Amino acid sequence: MIRMSKKPLEGIRVIDSSYVFAGPYSTGLLGDLGAEVIKVEGPTRPDFTRGGAFSGLLPENEPRDDPWNRMSAYNLVNRGKKSLVLDLTRKEGRDVFVDLLKKSDVLVENFTPRVMRGWGLDYPNLKKLNPGIIMVSNTGYGRGGPYSAYPAQATTQEATHGLAAVTGYRGGEPSKAGQSYVDFLAAWTICMAAMLGLRYRRRFGQGLWADIGMYQLGCYNVSEFVMDNIANGARGERIGNRHRQYAPQGTYRCAGKDAWCSLSVRDDEEWRALCNVMGKPEMAGDARYASEAGRREHHDAIDAMITQWTSPLSKIEAMERLQVAGVPAGAVLDGRDLHFNAQLKARGLIEKVAFPPEREMGPYRPLLGRPWNFSKIPLAIKGPAPAYGQHNTEVMRDVLGYDEARIAALHAEKLAVEGKPTKPREFPMMGMDKRVEIGRLAYWEPDYREKLGIL
Amino acid sequence: MLPATLDDLKVLDLSQGLAGPICAKILADFGADVVKVEPLSGDASRGMAPFFGKESHPEKSLVYLLANLNKRGVKVNFDDAEGRDLLRQMALKADVIIESYKPGYLASLGLGYETLSRGNPGLIMVSITPFGQTGPYKDYKNEEIVTYALSGIMSISGLADSEPLKHGGMQSQYEGGLAGTVGTLAAITARDMLGEGQHVDVSLQDVVTSTLVIHQPMYGWVGAVQGRRRPSGSNYGQVQECKDGYFIWQTGGGAEWSDIIEFFGSEQLKEERFATVAGRALHGIDLDRIVLDATKDRTMQELFLTASEKYHMLFGIVQEPKDLANCPHLDAREYFQEVDHPVMGKIKVPFRLWSMPDAPAVYRRASPLLGQHNSEVFVEMLGMDSDRVAALAAKGVI
Repeated sequence: MIRMSKKPLEGIRVIDSSYVFAGPYSTGLLGDLGAEVIKVEGPTRPDFTRGGAFSGLLPENEPRDDPWNRMSAYNLVNRGKKSLVLDLTRKEGRDVFVDLLKKSDVLVENFTPRVMRGWGLDYPNLKKLNPGIIMVSNTGYGRGGPYSAYPAQATTQEATHGLAAVTGYRGGEPSKAGQSYVDFLAAWTICMAAMLGLRYRRRFGQGLWADIGMYQLGCYNVSEFVMDNIANGARGERIGNRHRQYAPQGTYRCAGKDAWCSLSVRDDEEWRALCNVMGKPEMAGDARYASEAGRREHHDAIDAMITQWTSPLSKIEAMERLQVAGVPAGAVLDGRDLHFNAQLKARGLIEKVAFPPEREMGPYRPLLGRPWNFSKIPLAIKGPAPAYGQHNTEVMRDVLGYDEARIAALHAEKLAVEGKPTKPREFPMMGMDKRVEIGRLAYWEPDYREKLGIL
Repeated sequence: MLPATLDDLKVLDLSQGLAGPICAKILADFGADVVKVEPLSGDASRGMAPFFGKESHPEKSLVYLLANLNKRGVKVNFDDAEGRDLLRQMALKADVIIESYKPGYLASLGLGYETLSRGNPGLIMVSITPFGQTGPYKDYKNEEIVTYALSGIMSISGLADSEPLKHGGMQSQYEGGLAGTVGTLAAITARDMLGEGQHVDVSLQDVVTSTLVIHQPMYGWVGAVQGRRRPSGSNYGQVQECKDGYFIWQTGGGAEWSDIIEFFGSEQLKEERFATVAGRALHGIDLDRIVLDATKDRTMQELFLTASEKYHMLFGIVQEPKDLANCPHLDAREYFQEVDHPVMGKIKVPFRLWSMPDAPAVYRRASPLLGQHNSEVFVEMLGMDSDRVAALAAKGVI
C-alpha cells in the first residue's frame, strides 16, 4: 500500500493550556496526527491528572521521586507532547505565553471566560496578536446563556445533560455513567473544531474561535429521548439492559467470577437461532414467544432460560456460540480483557509506548491509541508524555528564539519551572490489596507485566 | 461572512443507522454538499423508534430526522447493474463517501474503495462499522449492547452485585459519529496537503473503548482492574434524592467546604470529621444522611440554581428528556433548530453541537424523504436528462 509522505498535521503547532481530560486528550490525538503539541501548566497548578482523584495509579504503586510524571491517566492523554511550565499569574510569565501564541496555529484552553478576558487573551484580543490562530475554548456550558458561568465537570454533568435519567436498572434510580463521560465527546469535538478551523484558514486566510460547551454534547447523545418528548410527550424511562423494541435483550451470567455475556434478538430469525443454540428448538415454535410483542411480555421467563444456558459457559464461549448461530452477542470485557481481546489486538488499538530509562517507568506501557485506521497514514503514539517542565528550554530557545541568559533568568525568577511543581498534587498512597478491599478496584494481578510481555 | 469551510466538497452518504449519518450530517452542517444514497428499502433508521406520533412510518422516524438534516436524498437499487453503475458515476464526482455496510459488501458489488478510487484518486472513503474492516470479529452481528459489552465500559457501569449496565440509548452510535468525523477531517486534511484520498476504517468497539482513559492504563501500570460500585456504603458523588428528583454534588469548583455547609444549611456538617476529603469518605454514610435530610424539602431547580449561582459548587440535577426539551440554556445557545418537514410538519430538532461564530453550522434543509431529490441530483451531478431519470425510475433502478 502507498504511504503518504507525511502525517496530516505535520508543521502545525498546538498550544494546550487545558487541564484534565477533554482538552489534553484532544491534543494528544492531534499530536498522534502529526501536530507539535506544547502543554502549558502552572508552577503551583500542575494538571489535575498529575495526582488526586482523576490521575489513575502509579507504576507498581510506587511514587519514586516524581509521582507527578508517573500517573497513568496523565501519561495516556499527554502522550507525545512537550511540557512548558509558566507562571501565567504574573505578567512576565504571560509575556512568554503571548510570544508562543504568536508563533502557534491552534490554542486549546478551558479557563473560565473571566480568566482569558482578564489577561487580554480572549479571542478578539488574541486575533490581534495572531490573526491566523484557531482558538478552541472548552467549558461546561459554553459562552452565553444562563448557565454559562456555572462550575461544571463531567460527573455532575452526566446528570444535567440527561444521560443519568435514562441509565439505570429497571425500576431503579438514575445511574451515573462513570469515568468523565462527556469529556470524551468534547475531546473529539475539539479535534473537529481545530481541523475545521485549520481548513477555514487554508481556504480563507484567517483563524477563528470555537466555543464548545460540554453540556450540549452530552444532551445531543440522548437526542432520541428528547425528540420523543417533543413529538410525543414521552417521558423516557430506565429499562436497564433491555431494548425499547427488541426482545429478548440482556446481559447474562456466565461461568467464572463476574463473567457476563450480552445478547440481543432483533427479529424472529435471530429468535429461532437463539432457541436452536440453547438446544431448545421447540421454544421457537411456542406461540407465546413467536412475536416480538410476545417475547417482550414474557421477557423474565426468557431471561431465566437464557441464564440457565449461559451459566456453565465461559463468557467468550457463550459469545462465540451465539455469534456462530447468528445471534448478536458480546462478552463483557473488563480492564484486563481489553489487553488480550483478539479483535482489539488485531486492530492494534492498544499500543506499547516506550519510555526512556531515566523515567524509571519500565521499558513499555500499553496505552489506548486511536479509533481510526488510515489506509495510507501509518500512525502511532509518537512518544511518552513529558516530565514536568521537560521542554522549557527547548521551546523557549528553538520556538521563541530566547537566548540562554533570558531563559536562565526566567527560571531563576520561577516564571518558568522545571523538575518539581511548586505545589505538587496529593496522591493518596494505599496498598493494592487495600484498594481491592474498599472496593475501589475489583482485583489486581501482580504478574501483569509477564502477561503483557513488557518485562 | 466568508463561504462555509467545507462548501467545496461533495459527499455521498451511503451509511445507515446513526453513527455514519451523524458524521455526514456534521460535514453538511459546515457546508459540504451531502447526498444521502439509500437502497430502495431506505436507511434502516427509517424503521427505528421513536416515531413522530408513535406510529411506525418510513418518513416519521425521529432518529432518521435527527441524523440526516442538511442532506439531499436519492434512492438507488444496489442489486441492479444499472444502479451500481450510477453509484460508480456518482463516486467519480465525489470527494468523500461515508458508508456503514458489512465489511466486504460494497466490494462484492464492485463498489469497494479500490474500484471507486481508480478513476478518482482524491476520493476518501470512510467506513464506520461495529468492529471495523479487519480482525476476527469483523463479521460479527452487532447491536448497541454488544458494542457496549465488548468495549469494556459496561464492566464498570452499574452495581457490583448486579449485572453490568449499558448506558441509556445508543451512545456508541453518537460516539461513532463524532469520532468518525475526526477521522474524516484528518483524511480531508491529508488530501488538501497531498492531493490523495484514502480509506478510513472506524470501529465502534475501538471508539467506545477509547473513552476508558482512566480504566485502561491501570492494568498496564500495576495490573489493576476497576469494577462496579458496591451497592452499600456512601452515595456521595452518586445521585441522591431531593423533593422532586435527584441531584449529584461534589466538592471543588469555586466552593470552599464552608460554602457547601452554608448551602446545605445543616449545623451537623460543621463537625470536624467532615472537614477533610478523607474524613468525608470515611463518614460517607452519615454525610449522605445529613445531606438527604437537608434537601428533602428542596426542589431540584432551586438546589441547582442556588448551588451554582450563589455558592459556585459543582452541582448537577438529573434532568429528564422534558427538561432538556425546554432548557433555557440550550435555547440561548441556539441548540435546537426548527425544521419544517414535509410529512411531520414543524418540529424542533437538536442541531448545533457547538458554536463557531465566524464559520458556524448552518441549517439549510430538512432530512430528505426517500428518493426526494432523485431528479435534481441525477440531472445536476450526472448530467442526465429528465427522460432518462423517468426511465430509470420506471425500471426500478432509482
